[in-house]
Amino acid sequence: MKKGMIKATGPFERVVHWCVALSCLLLCLTGMGMMFHSLNGIGTMVGGMLNLKMIHNFGGIFFAISLVFTIAMWWKEAGLFSFPEDWQWIIAGGGYLWHVENMPEVGKYNPGQKMFFLVVALFGAVMVASGLIIWFPFSFGVSLVRMMYVLHALGFLIIFAFFFVHLYLVTIGAPGSAPAMFTGWVTKAWVKKQHPKWLKEMEEDGSLVVFGEEKCSKKGRC
Amino acid sequence: MKKELVKLIDLSRCTACRGCQVACKQWNELPAKRTKNFGSYQNPPDLQSNTWTLIRFQEHEKKNGKINWLFRKDGCMHCTDAACIKVCPTGALYHTEFGSVSMHADKCIGCKACITACPFSVPKFDAETNKIAKCDLCYTRLQVNQPPACVQSCPTGALQIGAKDAMIKKAYARAAELGGDANVYGDKFVQGTHVVYVLPERADVYEHLPVDPKVPLEIIIWKDVLKPASLLTAGAVVAGCFLHYITHGPKTPDDETTCEGGNKS
Repeated sequence: MKKGMIKATGPFERVVHWCVALSCLLLCLTGMGMMFHSLNGIGTMVGGMLNLKMIHNFGGIFFAISLVFTIAMWWKEAGLFSFPEDWQWIIAGGGYLWHVENMPEVGKYNPGQKMFFLVVALFGAVMVASGLIIWFPFSFGVSLVRMMYVLHALGFLIIFAFFFVHLYLVTIGAPGSAPAMFTGWVTKAWVKKQHPKWLKEMEEDGSLVVFGEEKCSKKGRC
Repeated sequence: MKKELVKLIDLSRCTACRGCQVACKQWNELPAKRTKNFGSYQNPPDLQSNTWTLIRFQEHEKKNGKINWLFRKDGCMHCTDAACIKVCPTGALYHTEFGSVSMHADKCIGCKACITACPFSVPKFDAETNKIAKCDLCYTRLQVNQPPACVQSCPTGALQIGAKDAMIKKAYARAAELGGDANVYGDKFVQGTHVVYVLPERADVYEHLPVDPKVPLEIIIWKDVLKPASLLTAGAVVAGCFLHYITHGPKTPDDETTCEGGNKS
């Protein structure tokens, strides 16, 4: 690790992130294997469609548990918008769509990330609820189960689309972001560019952790 | 491709002998299970995973106060626009060359989607095999030019099978012959069923018989709208990301602020 890197996430945060991310990906793949006949081959890979169904259903339970941790962990930081600066950011498209002078400075999570979190939280919960009802249809009325199929497909449409936006931004769209979820350390330049307000907040309250300078923390927890 | 077949059920000729029900069980090797007496000759109370056809008994009071005992042979209608086939994730349910809806039992994963989708509540779940089961119009018999077991057993001619057009013609002729409320049920919805009734009474008189059956709207939204839309949306998003990258470019950090005085740029 290079000196001067800034700690962006803790190990717990990263574990929860990858639990929810990988199980979501698994559910997308196994679900598509059942949604599209042309992708039934995904079932063959796991020893048949029945296995695929079981992986999907029990993977869903793992996802549900991960989602609870995700929401509990990020709700305060990423679930609430702070106006007016978040609104200005949204109007400016976050500076992603066209060049904007004097972008409002964003904290730990920008409104785009907050929207992504809220979509994952909301539609993740929708997927869990509709999935459980589809799994045990005899415990519910037929018309409700039919509606759950619609919600389950709608949730997939939205989560799948957001997945690609997320994937783009953390790879080539906003380089330097991915390490936050691998090592947990990001460059100072990246924080300055992406989350300048957060950097200031951390500097002010002394929670900034810089690699190689851990001792300097004002809280004295080195 | 062989000719589309239609099984014609002329309820005016049905005496509720239940020969068809027993013949179905015998041919398809579906031994009876413990059943419940619910105050009717109808037995078992509903279609089951081991009862693919069932004579429903119904007491119907006519306008003149006379009680009419109605019999209806219930079972798979073998829809052309079959909701069960539409939702089956594995292709276990499929159309045969006769237009009937048959099933590859080995492919069924017991997801129960067809049970939810069917407008006639026909597929039934068998917890022992973890699969659904329903009438396949005796596909193996059709393949060797034999009528289905139920048709073979019918002593009154209430059940017939034959070329689709001929059977529908026959049905209308019979309904006209009966007169009154008699009508043909099956050729007008879900692009035509391969089981067609001649009903002596109006369709809404019969219990458990939908007057206007169709593939449920939710199933159409799911399979015909959201399913393709999910791929299109994902494709549009990927294309949008690529366009963003090549037109606007990524959001990269400014040059590292190693020099005194902040950013170089």
